Amino acid sequence: MRKAFSESLMKEAENNPQVTFMTGDLGFQVFDEFSEKFGARYINVGVAEAQLINVAAGMAAEGWRPVAYSIASFATARPFEQIRYCVSYPNLPVTLVGAGRGFTYSTSGVSHHALDDIGLMSLLPNMTVVIPGDPTEIEELFPQVMRCSGPAYFTVGRFGEPRYEAEESAVLGKARLLKSGEKIAVISTGEITHEVLKAVNLLHSENIFPMVYQMHTIKPLDTITLDNLADQVRAMLVVEEHVPNGGLWAAVTQWNALRDKPIRLQRVGPPDSFILGNLNREDVRKKIGCDAHSIGNTCRLLWNQ
Amino acid sequence: MMKTDCPVSPQSISSLSIQSLEQKARRLRATCVQMAHDGGEGHLNGALSCMDLLVALFYGWMKNYPDNPKHENRDRFIFSKGHACTAYYAILADRGFIPMNWLAQYAKNNSPLPSHPCLHALPVLDWSSGSLGHGLGVATGMSYGLKLSGNPARVVTLLSDGECNEGSTWEGAMFAAAQQLENLLVVVDYNRIQSVGRTDVLNGFTSFEEKFKAFGWGAKTIDGHHLPEINDALNEFPFECGKPSALIAKTTAGRGVSFMEDQVLWHYRVPSGDDVRQALEELGEAPLYFREGNSS
Repeated sequence: MRKAFSESLMKEAENNPQVTFMTGDLGFQVFDEFSEKFGARYINVGVAEAQLINVAAGMAAEGWRPVAYSIASFATARPFEQIRYCVSYPNLPVTLVGAGRGFTYSTSGVSHHALDDIGLMSLLPNMTVVIPGDPTEIEELFPQVMRCSGPAYFTVGRFGEPRYEAEESAVLGKARLLKSGEKIAVISTGEITHEVLKAVNLLHSENIFPMVYQMHTIKPLDTITLDNLADQVRAMLVVEEHVPNGGLWAAVTQWNALRDKPIRLQRVGPPDSFILGNLNREDVRKKIGCDAHSIGNTCRLLWNQ
Repeated sequence: MMKTDCPVSPQSISSLSIQSLEQKARRLRATCVQMAHDGGEGHLNGALSCMDLLVALFYGWMKNYPDNPKHENRDRFIFSKGHACTAYYAILADRGFIPMNWLAQYAKNNSPLPSHPCLHALPVLDWSSGSLGHGLGVATGMSYGLKLSGNPARVVTLLSDGECNEGSTWEGAMFAAAQQLENLLVVVDYNRIQSVGRTDVLNGFTSFEEKFKAFGWGAKTIDGHHLPEINDALNEFPFECGKPSALIAKTTAGRGVSFMEDQVLWHYRVPSGDDVRQALEELGEAPLYFREGNSS
């Protein structure tokens, strides 16, 4: 995904001479081409996330189109007030890119776990929040995010993630249908969608056919698709790699609470706690019950009820 | 980053004499005291301490265009110590950026002049302020952006000494030196009083000038109430070629009003009617705006 991101960034910078890129001293060799080609439009501010955001804000105020990059946990929580006061409040077109959200860096410890980034960024007025699940979504969504007139939070994974098939292209602000189905729908966001697809493929052999939607844009939430979907299915399963507060689950339950006839919802995702134990991403998902196996079990229950 | 020739920009302090500027500063201080009373919001310590600096900047060194506030060539200005904004609003009105009678609305319901400056309420501003420690960092972004566009405009940010407690101020200081932002001027209003404490105590009695120099800046310490000295220092900008400049202005909190000077109490305190009368008498000037029912 990072390769897809650096290539998408290059394209944006080639097409728009106002695009600048700044990093909080991260992305070793990933942005060499950008730096070589665009010179002073590349800035390494050092390990200084507050400064990363404030430079981006000042440059945006001068008409530049900054992309500010760091590891997701550091990009969001550390300079939260800079993002709130200097970017979101003046509504400046700064794209904040968080690399390795969720459990991408699971063995690096709680410092690197980004399970609250979506919540933090969704709290901010004017902010668009986009969580791509595969390299294709990075390529399709990044140019759309860069056309937002205000700030956006955009995430990228690591290297070499596979691409999944989809029945629609990715459109900013619109839930993306990955697989048609019936009776139940699984809604997920970001890379956990790979686990959802694994689960659903296994369920097909049991003649269970959930619909699968990737909700890459969490803010603004595509309530139109959710409303349409609610008329077609008996239950929805929300799958997220985020604490239960502030993420996709929170957004979907808020939408549901205002419906005249709320639809049955279930959640698969991490609990509201710090995840200790130094497990790799696969094992941590297994341990806390948000892997393909758990997703499959919950789908089966909902399907058979 | 890109190489630029060191800008040389000696400017006279406009056609106004030092004497008339000193009088102007007293009148603007009187305006601040009246505004704080009428609006019911204090922060006079920091407003009165920075007034001579604002006068020197807005009537001298800075390029600003009241008829076209967002002129591309204007020097950008960030009033980072937002709580002291009676001073900022007063000089904006005096300089013709905003109508004089707006001053009477300071801090009142639905006012374009809230008790911390807001870009949405007052679009002539270059930046909002209220949360401390952002001014320098944002100014570095503007400086970098201007250099990148080849725009010779300069960026000035006025900081309180208190907001130099913020780590983000020093993240910005490091960046400015690394990127050789010689189009950037930081003015520190070193009035030695914070919200509830004394700056030097909280800084461990260390020198601002030495700190900025250690961060790779050109820095000078001056008497922030002596207009010729302020003007001379500004005319030496940039203090060192290829470096950002820090002007450490030694000032007195509550300057010009005997019972406010150097008193922590007057960081927050709102002046009573009697306080206003005494202050205006000491300053020897009337406020800029006329308030109904106000005989002064």
